[in-house]
Amino acid sequence: MTDPGGAVGADTATGPSASVIELAGINKSFGGTRILEDIALSVPEGSRTVVVGSSGSGKTTLLRLISGFELPDSGTITVLGRTVAGPGVAVAAHRRGIGFVAQDGALFPHLTVGQNIAFGLGPALRGGTRRQRARAVSELLEMVSLKPDFAGRRPDELSGGQQQRVALARALARRPRVMLLDEPFSSLDAGLRAATRDIVAETLERSGITTVLVTHDQAEAMSFAHQLAVLRDGNLCQVGPPREVYWRPVDLFTARFLGDAVVLPATISVGFAACALGMVAVAPTSLRGDACIMLRPEQITVEHCEAGGADAAGALSCTGQVEAVDFYGPEVQLAVRLFASGAAAPGSPQNLGGTLVHVRQHGTMGTVVGSRVSLTARGTATAFAART
Amino acid sequence: MIPAAPSTATTAPDPSGTVRAAVAETGASGSAGFTDAAAGRVGKRPSAFIVAAAITVSLLGLLPLGYVIVTGILTGWPTLSALVFRPRVGELLLNTVGLVVITVPLTAAIGVAAAWLVGRTSLPGRRVFAVLLATPLAVPAFVNSYGWVSAVPSLNGLWSGVLIATLSYFPLVYLPCAAAFRRLDPTVEEAAESLGSGAWGVFFRVILPQLRLPILGGALLVGLHLLSEYGAFAMIRFDTFTTAIVEQYRSTFNGPAATALAGVLVLLCLFLLIGESGARGRSRYARIGSGVARVTPRRSLGAFTPVGYLFLGGLFTLAIGVPFWSVIRWLAQGGATVWTEPVLVQALLQTVGYGLAGAVVTCLLAFPIAFLAVRYPSRLSRGLESVNYLTSSLPGIVTALALVTISIRFVQPLYQTTVLVIVTYLLMFLPRALVNLRAGLAQVPVGLEEAARSLGRHPVAAFLHVTTRFFAPSALAAGALVFLGIVTELTATLLLAPSGTRTLAIQFWSKVNDINYVGAAPYALLMIVLSLPVTYLLFARSRLTSTS
Amino acid sequence: MILTRRWTLLAAIGTVTLLGATGCSAPEKSSPAASDASTPSGSITVYNAQHEELTQAWADEFTAETGVTVTLRNGDDSELGNQLVQEGSASKADVFLTENSPAITLVDQAGLFAPVDDATLAQVPEQLRPSTGTWTGIAARSTVFAYNPSLLSESEVPDSMLDLADPAWAGRWAASPSGADFQAIVSALLELKGEDATRDWLAAMKENVVVYKGNSTVMKAINAGEIPGGVIYHYYWFADQAGTGENSANTQMHYFKNQDPGAFVSVSGGGVLETSANPVAAQAFLAYITGKGGQEILKNGTSFEYPVSDSVDANPALVPISELDAPVIDPSKLNSTKVTDLMTEAGFL
Repeated sequence: MTDPGGAVGADTATGPSASVIELAGINKSFGGTRILEDIALSVPEGSRTVVVGSSGSGKTTLLRLISGFELPDSGTITVLGRTVAGPGVAVAAHRRGIGFVAQDGALFPHLTVGQNIAFGLGPALRGGTRRQRARAVSELLEMVSLKPDFAGRRPDELSGGQQQRVALARALARRPRVMLLDEPFSSLDAGLRAATRDIVAETLERSGITTVLVTHDQAEAMSFAHQLAVLRDGNLCQVGPPREVYWRPVDLFTARFLGDAVVLPATISVGFAACALGMVAVAPTSLRGDACIMLRPEQITVEHCEAGGADAAGALSCTGQVEAVDFYGPEVQLAVRLFASGAAAPGSPQNLGGTLVHVRQHGTMGTVVGSRVSLTARGTATAFAART
Repeated sequence: MIPAAPSTATTAPDPSGTVRAAVAETGASGSAGFTDAAAGRVGKRPSAFIVAAAITVSLLGLLPLGYVIVTGILTGWPTLSALVFRPRVGELLLNTVGLVVITVPLTAAIGVAAAWLVGRTSLPGRRVFAVLLATPLAVPAFVNSYGWVSAVPSLNGLWSGVLIATLSYFPLVYLPCAAAFRRLDPTVEEAAESLGSGAWGVFFRVILPQLRLPILGGALLVGLHLLSEYGAFAMIRFDTFTTAIVEQYRSTFNGPAATALAGVLVLLCLFLLIGESGARGRSRYARIGSGVARVTPRRSLGAFTPVGYLFLGGLFTLAIGVPFWSVIRWLAQGGATVWTEPVLVQALLQTVGYGLAGAVVTCLLAFPIAFLAVRYPSRLSRGLESVNYLTSSLPGIVTALALVTISIRFVQPLYQTTVLVIVTYLLMFLPRALVNLRAGLAQVPVGLEEAARSLGRHPVAAFLHVTTRFFAPSALAAGALVFLGIVTELTATLLLAPSGTRTLAIQFWSKVNDINYVGAAPYALLMIVLSLPVTYLLFARSRLTSTS
Repeated sequence: MILTRRWTLLAAIGTVTLLGATGCSAPEKSSPAASDASTPSGSITVYNAQHEELTQAWADEFTAETGVTVTLRNGDDSELGNQLVQEGSASKADVFLTENSPAITLVDQAGLFAPVDDATLAQVPEQLRPSTGTWTGIAARSTVFAYNPSLLSESEVPDSMLDLADPAWAGRWAASPSGADFQAIVSALLELKGEDATRDWLAAMKENVVVYKGNSTVMKAINAGEIPGGVIYHYYWFADQAGTGENSANTQMHYFKNQDPGAFVSVSGGGVLETSANPVAAQAFLAYITGKGGQEILKNGTSFEYPVSDSVDANPALVPISELDAPVIDPSKLNSTKVTDLMTEAGFL
């Protein structure tokens, strides 16, 4: 069984090291408000980078800076080796050759799907024979898994997902080497989201296009990205492969942003931390003594530990009591109140003064409120300073 | 005069994201594209009273058209063809068509350019210009012509007509386009940029096509105004169909020649209507998705800023500056004596009286049709709307001729009465009221009324207390438009008004005919002053509804 | 609810002003005379094609003398004439005044006039009224050729109006053919020279003339040097000269004389409608106009038209009518319908 909390896996994009997009020292303010502060980012060729952050974090602005719709106050942006923004340089958006898919697709309402896609085709093909154009459009539609007869439809006849795909096809028409996507799946129904995402990822991968996507959805970010960049209040907290950022977040905010986090007070010693769940392995850190540790809920197993029926040899010590059970379909979420004084033998009365911990369990386990459970931590936790 | 078809723009509402650019107000663009957000009484039928009222009003509107057709038939083809197919008519056709073909594209280009400068650039002072460029609507075309002829007496012929008409009518395109600019989705333009279109490419391939509806609608209005205008062209000795009809009328009253010319004029109007409808196509330029609520950043003109100023400033000076300066000059020359004419006060009161009465009557009678169109859309309601739109496209002179003849022959007691004048105004200005009333009604959520009824209110009371609150601003705008039209109306009033009627327009015209330009100045000034508040109201509303 | 109040307020304003407007402009129904049948009283409606200022002056004086209210409906000769014919017996007019004869002849031929009082007829010389006695002349004007001396020397001025058909005059003379005034001149031509000659002359005129709207405008254009000369009536010049003179300072008048069609003296007519509701007052008005009072206004006023009554001399500034050598024409013979047809044929209407 793989160790989900283990060392950084080998899933990082390790393509050729040429970085297609380079941002250095980017600052941007609107009015008096600082939107982006000292951003540095590098996107390797052929990879997908996702910039994730909550609303207002500046991620859309970042994308617009790369695409050329805005210009940075300071710093440089280099795309494909060419400086497109920097001191004394400002290449207009329409000359950057960067594909852009807006949040709602932004299809031209006055054109059909086919005309939309053909819009980006070079002047040569735009003026070409009808057959050539139709063929190019069909190919592009196929690339995004749409039937060729879509070409005659109007944008307002399409569903959200279809519009997004047409927008992608339109952007792909110019065979860009770089593609920017602004929350492209946020307006889709949950069911459609994953499917569309996969199609888009596959299309971009096949074409070898370097992609930067911006979203506030963590699950989407992590599944799509080779490289994840977390943006908070205009600053990049952490940049790295998804696994690394998820398992080794740089601070508690990042940790909480990317998923549920169980934070417990602990005493750190070398390689281990003592907490309410017992001794837990902890990732290398310079912290010692009183601090806190972060575990992901999936690292904690829950087992019943009620008195009676268990022999001494196999009895588990109870660590807490279930206060609430939330049903989520395949899983249930348990709110477990830890005992104040750590593990205890089943049956013994205990002080319920410890931390409240949220953990998940398969729905088949049938745990009820009030039952006592034993929580065991697996894998490695991440240590943070006590105050965070 | 601003006869017949509606003039300024207010934008249709946006209940569920469907953008109907400002010239939904031309009406024939029609209920077809209108959202049914406020409808929803599937199965329920409208009150018979309302339907009857709507049908009656619409039938009334068919009278002028009917008159032209019936008289044409009665005159007989040989006489008719002799009257229609002759060199003079060829001359008039050349003049009229030439006027339309040159002026309409010119006003469209100027209107779009002005709207772009005001709406999309960072030109300092653009907010002031935004209002200023709407003011030519307050100056009737014949007053504009008077101002220009005073400044440059030798003005005559086609190009002078084009000049004056363009300056008078460009706001008809400018206002809807300015409103539409505010509603354009900036992300669409950015998408175009990312696809390699430079600024010009974005403008011609993305912005302009999205402006198609307001441009076409505005162009149609300009065309219809050109066909109906009399005073402005008479003053510069430029013969169009309408001036010829008036001359025929003065020579033969309602002889067959006048009606024959009217018939050709009606055909030209129809041609314009069909042309606009065809060019509009099936376009429904819906804003897809909820859109990001971003405002398009403004472009700086940089080195071209002086050019922008020159254009806008020049436009304003020519359109408003010249007539104003002429009026002031004549007033200065006339001194205080011109103001002491007792007729002046009488004319002012009569004009205001007719304006208010006409506005109230027209709005009231337009209401049933608007109500049907919004709450119970059906083929009937669409048909009624189209009928009204068509008949109001007729020039005022034709409507007046028809009503004069019909009243003399069939409804003698009404002949030369105020009632007949009001009825004429009703027919001429109904669509202006109709479109605004419809827009207002469409904005009212039906659910509110039903809530009121569930709380025990009688349906009519529920309507009055709930719906009118939302609907009042549109009603006001409708009334304002009609008022504006009546204040500046000349030819129909001349024909139909009871003996002794002196409106500002009539007095102005009679002074001008005696080349007493000094005496005409106070009347010109009063007409402008009466029209200004109304024009401002319309401008303010066009800004409001566009951002809703 | 404030908004229903606003609506009610608006409706109230509208109704009040509507009533006010009606009150101001309602056709003054001619009220019949009071007890004494020979004293004019009540009110009359005058369909007036004469210059508004002149008729208003007549009306004011008449009202001052008799107390009869006079409501004017202003318009053009043919417009009002045709309108009267259309209205027929349902017309609300009591008196019809014109600038020229053809329109009043049209109404006369439709049989709409009542005979004019003998006393009134006695005030006007025979040649200035029709023999039928159904209407009478009230004023007269002479056709003239106005020209700009800096553009046209005296020797170049045409001898006859018929000369203007010459190709040499192409684009060099102006007129206002859509107006009743010029159409009256054409009717005189028709009466004097016949249909064919008139048709030919009109066709040549179509080639040569520069069209203006209104005699005043013609004179203004001549004065400004836009065109060398034009055919109008005499009084425009005199009236302007008496005022600021700005539209006639550079203009001279040429009287064709020699009984030329261009020396045509047009008679303005006045008649009482058969269907008048107040015939006493109507006849009295006509009597006033043709009597000393009304004709004095012609002499001393600003209209500068010729009086018709023997008892009053013309304004001394004018060329005496006896010196004009005008062609002799029976005013009742002037045919406006035929003229309209010919002018439509020629392409002027």
